[in-house]
Amino acid sequence: MPDVLIVGAGASGAVAAKRLAEEGFDVVCLEQGAWPDYSKARAPYPDFELTSGRDWGWDPNARQMPADYPVDDSESDITALMWNGVGGGTVVFAAHWQRNLPSDFRVRSLDGVADDWPFAYEDLEPFYVRAERDWGVSGLAGDTAFPSGDGPPMLPVPLGRMGRRVAKAHNDLGWHWWPGPNAIATERYGRLNPCTQRATCLWGCSEGAKASVDRTYWPVAVERGVTLLTGARVKRLLLGTDGLVTGALYVDREGKQHEQRAGATILACNGIGTPRVLLLSAGKGHPGGLANSSGLVGKRLMMHPFGTVVGLFDEGLDSWQGPWGQHIHSLEFYETDASRGFVRGAKWGLQPTGGPLSMTHSYPWGEENAIWGPTFHSQLRKRLGRSAMWGIIAEDLPEESNRVVLDPVKKDDSGIPAARIQYRMSENSRRLMAFHQERAKESLEAAGAYETVIAPFIRATGWHLLGTAMMGTDPSRSVVDQWGRAHDVPNLYIFDGSTWPTSAGMNPTATIAAVALRGVDHLIAERRSARVST
Amino acid sequence: MTPFDSNRRALLAGLADVLIPSGDGMPSASEAGVAGRWLDEVLKLRPDFGPPLSAVLDGVGGDEPAAAVARLRTDDPAGFGVLAEVVAGGYFLNPKVRKAIGYPGQQPVPVQPEEPPDYEQDGLIASVIARGRIYRPTPGRQRD
Repeated sequence: MPDVLIVGAGASGAVAAKRLAEEGFDVVCLEQGAWPDYSKARAPYPDFELTSGRDWGWDPNARQMPADYPVDDSESDITALMWNGVGGGTVVFAAHWQRNLPSDFRVRSLDGVADDWPFAYEDLEPFYVRAERDWGVSGLAGDTAFPSGDGPPMLPVPLGRMGRRVAKAHNDLGWHWWPGPNAIATERYGRLNPCTQRATCLWGCSEGAKASVDRTYWPVAVERGVTLLTGARVKRLLLGTDGLVTGALYVDREGKQHEQRAGATILACNGIGTPRVLLLSAGKGHPGGLANSSGLVGKRLMMHPFGTVVGLFDEGLDSWQGPWGQHIHSLEFYETDASRGFVRGAKWGLQPTGGPLSMTHSYPWGEENAIWGPTFHSQLRKRLGRSAMWGIIAEDLPEESNRVVLDPVKKDDSGIPAARIQYRMSENSRRLMAFHQERAKESLEAAGAYETVIAPFIRATGWHLLGTAMMGTDPSRSVVDQWGRAHDVPNLYIFDGSTWPTSAGMNPTATIAAVALRGVDHLIAERRSARVST
Repeated sequence: MTPFDSNRRALLAGLADVLIPSGDGMPSASEAGVAGRWLDEVLKLRPDFGPPLSAVLDGVGGDEPAAAVARLRTDDPAGFGVLAEVVAGGYFLNPKVRKAIGYPGQQPVPVQPEEPPDYEQDGLIASVIARGRIYRPTPGRQRD
């Protein structure tokens, strides 16, 4: 019997698998999807813009790959986005590598809302440093928005023309900026090639430069003996008479059911998939779901309202090229200032705007600025190559009414109940976003934009799925402890973003990786002396 | 899928030219072949566009192209989205159009180490550093 079962081959599952294999643990991972097919990464070809949205789409309901399970979002202001396959969300993420700030771990203490995390930035900092070396992160140490310390192992991507313009403007305004930290190689690094700035990170990196874990972690983990089973969708976790989890029941692509047993189980299925599995695992003695004596499984869903502000410039900025990725980031307005009428903040990342077909889309350009008709050619000339945009990641606060539940009607193609999300954007989030959009507009204007566009709100921006199996010290008010171990089930661990007490206003992968690394190190030490379910 | 015969292609050409007329030295959508060769190419790449495009064309009836497009935008945004993607997608597949707008595709531009790196040029990053650290420290700790 394997020592450890991991459910999900995304970021946190990869970190755990590789580390466990390094320490000689026998590991099996069940992944409902397949390995990514990079023959469909069409960056070098003319059809790139036409085909990428289909083959690398982010919305499982629209994409409908065999591995996707439905997520009913009819009661949500935001659509949940994900990639169900080896690599998880890192296959299609923008690779913005943002550590959380010290204040993100002390939201209750500093701002009087939500909850503190059970550990501090200083506890996590060594794991950030290790994760950055393991993943292959580029950036620059010394960012003035963070405490001092070691930085990533590679130099940052170039600022480029747009980055230099905006950086200078921020210097004139006295506002923060820093070269963008990205999980993108700027030199040959392990299995990664250097970035060629094709700006296609979000649709499967054709160059092998983006540090998605299907390219970095999983091949190493498999070489070290981890068994990675694809097309294996978990139906529920199995529980022994001693209250310990004994493994999982899963369904293969042919519809056959199998039992996978293991001494300990790690859930790494994202903020929708993890509570779904726990709720599916309800049984005698735990009718509300496994590890759910607190009643918090599925609750406190946070998805980061997302904003975009575009600037049009009178010179060529090569804005269909570059990392995508971010050239620079700004944390000028990240920290709480109560005089603004809201708490918490947002991170901005400066990004390319894409090729000609992207110039015709209603996002981010807005229906009121529709390009069609007599002005098509002049509008295209204004936008293509001469635009830059800030992407704004807004912190949303945890609310128990924002949640994941099992869908009473819909099922996936294995006959397993689908997920349903219920999520409403709060007034704090709306005010926060409006403030940040206005400041981002001022930023681009200061950089010389003769016109700016605040993108319309769209629902399909829920890349970050957080908070639905909260960590904490009090078992009546949290699902797992600070190491990701379930309070109710001592050999069950959760390492994905579900455990976040608050969402921060950052792209979450850096912290998901660091928290998983911290958790698996603890698991390794603990399992050496722990009892194993039989 | 309903075949895209010459009548349907003519209908598509009319709608397409409402979206992308000629001007500024650029061809209209139909002049660039979006209802001809590039329609075939788009549908080869995106066969999933075939049925919804057919439905859009079926719904035009006897409307003038401009009126049909206006109605589609209001009444059937999803159908309009497919039409727009087929028309613009085909337009930008045409190498003459790509050349005319100065778009060579997503070219490989290897990251070249600069000396000094561009963030150090013109005192750019020195200015940020001079402004000092801005984070709120963990309670009980000092900002460094």
